[in-house]
Amino acid sequence: MSASSFPSPAPVVRRIRAYFAPVNRAAQAPVVFDPSQLWNLNLDSPPAPWMNLGWVQSFARKPIGKSASLLTGIPAATFEQVRESLGAQLSFQFLSWTKLTMALATGSQHMNVLAPASGAFAAADGGQAAPPATVQSGSTSTFVALASADAAKFAPGAIIAIDADYAGSMGYVGSPISGAYLRAPVADVDYIRRITFNVALVSQSSSTGLTLAEPLPGGAPAPGLKLQKVIGLVDREGGSFYQEWSGLFILQGSQGERIFFYYPRLQTVAGAEEIDAPLARNKSTLNRILLSAQFQALPVTDPLDGERVVCYRSFVPAPGALV
Amino acid sequence: MQNAKDSFYIALRTRLVAINPNRTILLRGTVRPGILVEDAEAPVSQLPNDVFVVRWLGLGVDEDLASAMAAEECEIVYQTCGTQSFGGLDRGRALSEMDEELMAIVQPFFTPKLNFSAQPPAAMLTQVFWDVPAFGPISRSAKVLVYSYQEQGE
Repeated sequence: MSASSFPSPAPVVRRIRAYFAPVNRAAQAPVVFDPSQLWNLNLDSPPAPWMNLGWVQSFARKPIGKSASLLTGIPAATFEQVRESLGAQLSFQFLSWTKLTMALATGSQHMNVLAPASGAFAAADGGQAAPPATVQSGSTSTFVALASADAAKFAPGAIIAIDADYAGSMGYVGSPISGAYLRAPVADVDYIRRITFNVALVSQSSSTGLTLAEPLPGGAPAPGLKLQKVIGLVDREGGSFYQEWSGLFILQGSQGERIFFYYPRLQTVAGAEEIDAPLARNKSTLNRILLSAQFQALPVTDPLDGERVVCYRSFVPAPGALV
Repeated sequence: MQNAKDSFYIALRTRLVAINPNRTILLRGTVRPGILVEDAEAPVSQLPNDVFVVRWLGLGVDEDLASAMAAEECEIVYQTCGTQSFGGLDRGRALSEMDEELMAIVQPFFTPKLNFSAQPPAAMLTQVFWDVPAFGPISRSAKVLVYSYQEQGE
């Protein structure tokens, strides 16, 4: 060992960070994480389309693939091993409640509760919505250009959903993030705005439009898209739609080393479940409600050699650590 | 181990200057940032107000690793009587201000390890890192376990 290096210790980490990016469901195309290019990504500001979902806890990886022995000879002995099945599961708890963490922690589609129209009938996922406003040209991912009369309807602090009118399409709907799968047309013209992930908080309202507190996941909205006010979020136990995302989990070690777990395709595998976490160890009556998420990793074919895999684990050693 | 202790102290001192340059102490005729190492100053019967006092307590060493890891227990003690202009009635606010400063200066929870026996201090290979502080009652004390790997020549 020279003075310019040191033995590589087992990484010491405090917590783990989660990032997700939408899989293109129609094309079955996951988002690729390339460790050769993103090994030093800014943990607070990952490059698009990766979205930062903050810290997670109780992170657990569980391989469920099975191998079997091929036996030959008398007495039989293992000649070689074969992989009978391929799979992995993943579970953790989110430390925040957002549109995306809720959606990922539910086994079904996740919807926006749109502000109701006057006199709307009651419905479990929100009644008929109030008429939408139309996006004008000149919008960016953090500014929505509106006619002044429309802008006046949205005060700072409002949550908005922006997307197209539903026009009878079937299959995966919502772009660039598929929020549902339709087997038959629905009657609700606001359906896509109910299931869209293109939501944000309004920080300022002016006569020319709305300034957003966070960028829209879908980027700058095109003129002609519609927006509606969102009251809250709702998901259902049941249904046939499964969320599918590319997942990236990063552990930063005490010496600057990084461990990456990249799952090209993760589907939510369990229904919505919450965990009570007491705020204090002993006598606290206060509980933090954590979203519990469980995922099934689905395989992709690695173009490098044609092997089918479900997860990539990358490790970037600490500077100066022996390898 | 001394390098880790020195690096930890200097990191906290540098961060304190950045977030509150007005927290100072006149020590041995020199105005310095308001944080000091107790065992590097003259013994006193009573700790000074409005400054952070770094006190080194226990030591543990894990020899089973490829590089021995030292865990040094550090207590950061601080207290305040508030300000004269408010007759000390603002001592709660002043203590909260010091709480916030302490939480700010311990983050991020690591710093490069430097060898301060050289001038200028020489960068070493590993980083010193620590856990989140555990706060004690008023007057405040916050205990932190500071970890470091022993390098060649230490």
